Amino acid sequence: MLKMQHVSKIYRTDLVETHALRDFGVHVREGEFIAVTGPSGSGKTTFLNIAGLLETFDGGSYLLDGEDVGRLNDRRRSRVRNEKIGFIFQGFNLIPDLNVFDNVDVPLRYRGFDAAERRRRIESTLDLVGLGSRSKHIPAQLSGGQQQRVAIARALAGSPRILLADEPTGNLDSLMARQILELIEDINARGTTIVMVTHDPELARRAARSIHIIDGKVSDLEPFDPPAVAIEARASA
Amino acid sequence: MFRYYLRLALLSLKRNPILSTLMVAAIGIGIGVCMTALTVYYLMSADPIPAKSSQLFAVQLDSWDPNQPVSEARPEQAPWQLTYRDAMALRESDIATHETAMYYSARIVVSENEAVPPFLAWVRLADADFFSMFGVPFLYGGPWSSEVDETARPVVVLSKRTNEQVFGGANSVGSDLQLDDQIYRVVGVLEEWNPIPKIYDVNNGPFNDTEDIFLPFSLAELASDRRSEGNTSCWKDEDITSYTGFLNSECVWIQYWAELDSPAQVREYQAFLDNYVREQQRLGRFERPLNNRLTSARDWLDVREVVRDDNRVLVSLAFMFLAVCVLNTVGLLLAKFAGKAPQISLRRALGASRGTTFAQYLVEIGLVGIAGGLLGLGLAFLGLAGVRSFEGEYSKLAHLDPVLVGAAILIALLSSLAAGLYPTWRACRIPPAAHLKTQ
Amino acid sequence: MEIRPILSALLRNRTGAVLIALQIAVTLAVVINAAHIVKQRLDLIGRPTGMDVANIFEVHSFDFAGEFNYRERVRGDLELLRNMPGVRAATVMNQVPLSGGGSSSGYFREPEREGPEVAGNHFTVDEQAVDTLGVSLSAGRNFRLEEIDYMDLDNVDVDSVLVTAAFAERLFPDGDALGSTIYSGGGDPLTIIGIIEHMHGSWVDWEELDQVVLLPVYVEQDFVRYVVRTEPGRRDEVLGIVEQKLSELDRERAVRGVRSMEELAAESYRGDRMMAVLLTAVIFLLIAITALGIVGLASFSVKSRTKQIGTRRAIGASRFDIVRYFLVENWLITTGGVILGSVLAVAFNLWLVRTFELPKLDFIYIPLGILALWILGQLAVLGPARRAASIAPAIATRTV
Ligand SMILES: Nc1ncnc2c1ncn2[C@@H]1O[C@H](COP(=O)(O)OP(=O)(O)OP(=O)(O)O)[C@@H](O)[C@H]1O
Ligand SMILES: [Mg+2]
Repeated sequence: MLKMQHVSKIYRTDLVETHALRDFGVHVREGEFIAVTGPSGSGKTTFLNIAGLLETFDGGSYLLDGEDVGRLNDRRRSRVRNEKIGFIFQGFNLIPDLNVFDNVDVPLRYRGFDAAERRRRIESTLDLVGLGSRSKHIPAQLSGGQQQRVAIARALAGSPRILLADEPTGNLDSLMARQILELIEDINARGTTIVMVTHDPELARRAARSIHIIDGKVSDLEPFDPPAVAIEARASA
Repeated sequence: MFRYYLRLALLSLKRNPILSTLMVAAIGIGIGVCMTALTVYYLMSADPIPAKSSQLFAVQLDSWDPNQPVSEARPEQAPWQLTYRDAMALRESDIATHETAMYYSARIVVSENEAVPPFLAWVRLADADFFSMFGVPFLYGGPWSSEVDETARPVVVLSKRTNEQVFGGANSVGSDLQLDDQIYRVVGVLEEWNPIPKIYDVNNGPFNDTEDIFLPFSLAELASDRRSEGNTSCWKDEDITSYTGFLNSECVWIQYWAELDSPAQVREYQAFLDNYVREQQRLGRFERPLNNRLTSARDWLDVREVVRDDNRVLVSLAFMFLAVCVLNTVGLLLAKFAGKAPQISLRRALGASRGTTFAQYLVEIGLVGIAGGLLGLGLAFLGLAGVRSFEGEYSKLAHLDPVLVGAAILIALLSSLAAGLYPTWRACRIPPAAHLKTQ
Repeated sequence: MEIRPILSALLRNRTGAVLIALQIAVTLAVVINAAHIVKQRLDLIGRPTGMDVANIFEVHSFDFAGEFNYRERVRGDLELLRNMPGVRAATVMNQVPLSGGGSSSGYFREPEREGPEVAGNHFTVDEQAVDTLGVSLSAGRNFRLEEIDYMDLDNVDVDSVLVTAAFAERLFPDGDALGSTIYSGGGDPLTIIGIIEHMHGSWVDWEELDQVVLLPVYVEQDFVRYVVRTEPGRRDEVLGIVEQKLSELDRERAVRGVRSMEELAAESYRGDRMMAVLLTAVIFLLIAITALGIVGLASFSVKSRTKQIGTRRAIGASRFDIVRYFLVENWLITTGGVILGSVLAVAFNLWLVRTFELPKLDFIYIPLGILALWILGQLAVLGPARRAASIAPAIATRTV
């Protein structure tokens, strides 16, 4: 599903060069739920940004769904983002001017679905996250957990193949965090591949597999590495 | 998708009402000022007879003082007008398709109707061809016959206004009209006709009204009591003691136009003029170098510098004004888009390409442009009303027509695009990941 | 507070500042040149004319019956006019000064067009013209009644003339004009019997507007132009009834064309007046637009720097420090703008001078303009700056 090999990413500023990722390799298979852990500044967000085609990288290769996405132009990248990838951010990042319905609508507009299809998808994903009755609220009228669920609905509405989440529970209390996690697990159970960055070891343990990033590299000490057979089994399930 | 952008644009404009109002106001005021200046300029320099302006030629002969050119500032020029005797000589030729000599004068109209007190009317004395050459429309009747140009007869063509004043607007063809102490027969009444500028005679107020009355030029010889009221320039010391003396003098006061339909005809007419002047030189006149000019009506307004420098200055200042308004809008848009950066990068993350983002904000800017254009038109109406309040020629030179309205919208769109391109381009360059980290 | 950190903050985020500076530069260039033109036009309109413009009007009589006696006509009309209550003097003239209509010819010191030629704008008048126009003689005497001749249009031939001092100086630089003879072309000699201190002629856009010659003659025509001067403040009263009074005297002619000299002059200066008014409007609108632009951008910068400002307040900046920050920042931007603007203003003026022969810029306008824009900038930014100063320090600890 997602395969990076020898990927490197260097941030250059006037003063310093930061090697955010170096010789970075990872292979996420279809249907997996992977947790990404690591100390602050280790390159987790960078990895996620590159995986989600939000940023380019300097060296190495990246295959997404069998397609080499490293050298696509902006329009193709936008298209891939729109069709295959769903994002969940720590800061929710809802558009404050738009109500819940319209927020979920945003990626669908870019996708070019007709109005009926958009409505169907928005309503069903909002039902899925349990906010079917709140579609006319604006973000400021929602709790943090509700906002994050809208963000998840937005990420899911376009039926992405892979869901990328950067500390989706970082801004929530533990009860809400658990609810969100359950939602994500639920989504994973329906076949969507999930890559989730988290600081919380408990959450990380709940993932099927976890990769640990230190200093821009995947650490060899991957705490949980279930046998590949299990993953295969899960994917085919 | 366009409708979606439109909705987003409206939403975004509503979100920052002050900023949006400022932008629309800046573009609007810029357009208002620009259109006010441009309208006056455009009407001043308009071609009042576009259909024929390349066939009608103003005729100039350099009969001026051998010791100095007619204008020190423009020494290459010949006098703008002709002497009477030269005009009479040119009238003999039949090279031109049509031609007319003419000048500006006045008569007192004495109506039989007691209720209409005698009044002073402005008169153009011209040849019959004048009406067809300049496309003058008739309401009743028509021009006098060309025999009248040879043998003077007391016939008259009235302007619509004069016909209304004297005959209450009725068909007066065939009626008699007293001018001074003479009776004339009305042969035609004109439709409303007001070429701006008054191209056939820019010597005597290029934005003056059309004359009230038209008389045959052949009457000039007899009009010793009612002479030219127009510009008359003399250079020679001549002992003029009678009207005949004046007619034979070197004073220039006649405007002369010829209609020449092909380049060959123009060449032939030019050769005719040159021959005529050479002949006159042998008789001791025309001591200056040969400088006979044929200028098409299209070029005549430029040659005569009908558009005042002041109006050019106003237009240049108005466009600098617009430049300030555009700079202003650029700044406001930059500020606005800077505030929108998180949203833009979010949309990018959700699959909006650079092109889509560009299109979205272009719609918003276009909206500002159109609103600004409309406001600008409103302000231009006000501005032009202000200009009209100066009366005189300005009451004719301050009206919007469809071309100007189109120009206003176009300038508004262009300036809002000019204002919007850079900020939008910058907005599209915002990388999708830049503003998505924890806030 | 130091300028350096503000400047470096500005340079790091320069697009907005550059835009405001550019806007100020163009504004300065336009405002300075426009103000210069306005001043020049107002000066032109306000020039002393030498005449009592406010109390003079004209009225025409024209005979259309064919047979009529010019001398009787003029004698009767003048007598009526001169005896009307409120009338101070009346004369017959071929044209009215400042009206745009008139005649001029070249005058010489020698017969037969020898020697230097000076243009003179001539008017035909009678002995009351000096009093009617309200001009004053600086030397010599006025025409006497018996010096005014009746002549026909093709044979105007007079002996004596009044000329303006400006005309006299041009033709007689040594100051011996009074009593000298001059020639109009090849005609008979004319004796200068008096010098008019100052008087404007027909065409207000003529460079030699103050070179006027008065000829003592009635030109016999069926069209007569009377020029009347009233007692101060009584012009409109007389002007309102004059047409009726003259008509009553003799109904076999038409009396028309009552126009005050003020009105005629206003028409002659119409273009200049319009220029002055439009450019003044441009100046004010431009200043308003620029001020609004500054307010808009400053407000925005306050809004986007809310957290930063809160932090500054939290670590000890006073309200005044915050206001001062914005004032200094604006002053730096404006200064950049006016430096560029001064160059632009001069360049634009050079272009105007070269292309349209407008007068050169008076350099005093530049410092005045700079000062005005400095003040404008400070005033415009004051509102947003005060809003910034009222941001609560607590904002810093709150996550947005
Ligand atoms: N835009 C940028 N410019 C320069 N350096 C950057 C940029 N973004 C990230 N970095 C650097 O790259 C490195 C990796 O950053 P990244 O955001 O991926 O860390 P992270 O693992 O997500 O940390 P955290 O757990 O704190 O979110 C850091 O050293 C960071 O300073
Ligand atoms: Mg991170």
